[in-house]
Amino acid sequence: MAIESQYYLLLSAAIFCIGVYGILTRQNALLFLMSVELMLNAANINLVAFSFYHGNLTGQVFSLFTMALAAAEVAVGIGIVLVLYRNFEDIDVTKAATMRW
Amino acid sequence: MTSRPRLATDVNYVNGLAALALFVVMAYVFMTSDVSAPAGFADGSIVASIGYAMFDMLDQGAIEAEGFLVAFIVIALVLDAALDGAVMLARREDDEQSVTALADGGFLSRTKETSSERRSDGDSLLGRNDGEDAGSSDDGGDD
Repeated sequence: MAIESQYYLLLSAAIFCIGVYGILTRQNALLFLMSVELMLNAANINLVAFSFYHGNLTGQVFSLFTMALAAAEVAVGIGIVLVLYRNFEDIDVTKAATMRW
Repeated sequence: MTSRPRLATDVNYVNGLAALALFVVMAYVFMTSDVSAPAGFADGSIVASIGYAMFDMLDQGAIEAEGFLVAFIVIALVLDAALDGAVMLARREDDEQSVTALADGGFLSRTKETSSERRSDGDSLLGRNDGEDAGSSDDGGDD
């Protein structure tokens, strides 16, 4: 007995909206990174759910690559946060208002 | 420098209502759509089929998939570039003292302290400042 596909979509929408909530309410750059990860993983849940829905493994393989891309994104993101802390002595994203300082 | 964690009080809850509204809309759309029963996978090992799909050996996998060998190579290059980018971003501008433990995220390098003070400060952060003067050179550093 398989779970109906709507509930996978509902879970994915919930996780995605938690990520959007974090980005809209917080000002900490590290919490931004965590929220972006939540949104990426919501997309992964959709990929796996539709992979099962269609009986084709392409979605599952693609979600693996999405996870690898998320790892690369976090590596660069933490580097940017480090530079932000070095230059502003804080990781508040609202303080870095210009591209160049 | 360090402080205990506190509950965030600068949270903008009003903006968060947009996310809540987005969830309500998405949940309404998903729950009112009529989706047929999922097809499910054919018999056979899913993990093995994923591995075969990743390396373009589609004829050996039990479950239908597409080839992902090019994506595999591309993602390897992207991870390599991300590693290089992270190292480039994390490297200091004045590359003279890069061995000490960065317990402060590199903040102290911008202040006017000498390198020996910085080193002893790093040792105190690590909890081993037992009678060491600033001039001793037992840190295994690069000087």
